[in-house]
Amino acid sequence: MTHRVAVMAVSATPVGKIQTPEDAELHTLEHEVMAKLVVEAMRDSGMDKKDVDSLVFAMCRPYTRQKYFSTFMASYLQLPCHGTVMEALGNGMTGGIALEQATRDVESGRAKVALALGVNFESQTPSGEHMNSSMRTTGDVDFHTIFGVTPIAWYAMDAMRYIHEYGSSRRELANVAVKSRYHASLNPIAQYRKPITLDEVMAQREIVEPLGLYEVPPRGDGAVCAVLCREDIAKASGRPYALIKGRGFYHEGAHQISEVPNDMIAFKSIQVASGKAYEQAGVKAGDMDFAELYAPCTIVEVLASEAMGLCERGKGGKDAESGATTLGGRIPISTSGGLMSRGHPAYVTPLYILHEVFQQLVGRAGERQVKDARLGAMSSELGNYNAALVQVLEAVR
Amino acid sequence: MSMEIIHVDLDRSYPPRPTETTKIFWDAIAAGQFKTTRCTSCGKMTFPPKPICPHCWSDSMEWADLSGKGTLYSRTIIHAAPAIFAKEAPIHFGIIDLEEGIRIATRIWDMEPLDIGSPMRIVTLQYNDGPLFAARKA
Repeated sequence: MTHRVAVMAVSATPVGKIQTPEDAELHTLEHEVMAKLVVEAMRDSGMDKKDVDSLVFAMCRPYTRQKYFSTFMASYLQLPCHGTVMEALGNGMTGGIALEQATRDVESGRAKVALALGVNFESQTPSGEHMNSSMRTTGDVDFHTIFGVTPIAWYAMDAMRYIHEYGSSRRELANVAVKSRYHASLNPIAQYRKPITLDEVMAQREIVEPLGLYEVPPRGDGAVCAVLCREDIAKASGRPYALIKGRGFYHEGAHQISEVPNDMIAFKSIQVASGKAYEQAGVKAGDMDFAELYAPCTIVEVLASEAMGLCERGKGGKDAESGATTLGGRIPISTSGGLMSRGHPAYVTPLYILHEVFQQLVGRAGERQVKDARLGAMSSELGNYNAALVQVLEAVR
Repeated sequence: MSMEIIHVDLDRSYPPRPTETTKIFWDAIAAGQFKTTRCTSCGKMTFPPKPICPHCWSDSMEWADLSGKGTLYSRTIIHAAPAIFAKEAPIHFGIIDLEEGIRIATRIWDMEPLDIGSPMRIVTLQYNDGPLFAARKA
């Protein structure tokens, strides 16, 4: 028998610079940050420690010291588990895979309560040095990395192609960055909260043509703990929760680029994954009250929202310009401020996405609350959306 | 047909590691030849060259010449490059659809902006320590 799965609580630290330097007098260490969040999230969930049977971590960056972090934490928290104790890794989808595995453990009956959690510390490693490693994550190290290509360069090429095919412009796409920052200005845990104008976005130094500093994600630290449980337990608790109503996954069998020419900016993986998630949930794209997307650059939000059916093909940039994707618009997208402004501690970013969906669905999003939010979609991805994971969640209050 | 060979007075920043299969490719690049593997079972070409066919999973592969001609699908200029590539930045990089129906991603040698859809050709970059390849406007 399978169980329906509820999200009962999600705790997260503000995104930013949390990690301390190697020679600090007093350190902020990953396990203490994580343990405090577990305690906070569990208290907020009303769940019982003895019912927790799975700990699914997003793997830590190589820049933290403790290895085998999951089993270390099971000990630190004195938590014997019948379900799973593990760390997931899948590039940008890492936190999404942790969420998926925790969901499966509850669904299958392996765990009454499962935690999807993780900590991403990287701010003490300079960007140039970080890119020496991240360049090896996208493309073929012996046939692409040899030219110096970086992860966001692939998104930049999406932007160039989109502008070419749909007569869009860098300026049109840059509206996404302005909108994201406005949302982040209302989000106490966002990394960058000062509102910005379109002219300011356009005036930033170029990072990867045609994208400048404000059109690509910042780097930062963060940590999240989500508490999932069987829906019958959630119901019995009498607390509001978010039901995971549909899930879909698809990998297109290409790593960064398909050697067989395809429509690179169709983002087929999220088309397929969202289609499956909507179908399982018994809903349509148009039923969503909001969506929180994994979109590291302006163009990625546009392409992902088009592929999910939230915007018409070729119109995503215009929707950002017209305010259709802003709070109060037709379909608010990334009310947290998204990866560009809420921040992007990459391995836990999908759990921050869940955090925002949860806040919206239990009515705790404060100034950025989507009115009567009942259904929300979220995504995570890896590569150039070569794979996508989509969840549809529903408010139960 | 032989490709243009451009001498670059630098060592490669992050050289590829030749294998039994790919050494044949890199030796050909050094000689101004562009080739890849083709499956003798299903007839499909694959790039990068591989000891197996990714399409039908046959392990019977042969070498076939590529024309080195294609069309620019997209491009970017990487201003913020990894530390290892700092001396080569900014880097012009693009996606080329070869006329044989294969999509590749490679360095674009010239820095001036190119229109998407431009005809392109592949050239050899002969660094001091070995070869790479790149694309130029045809």
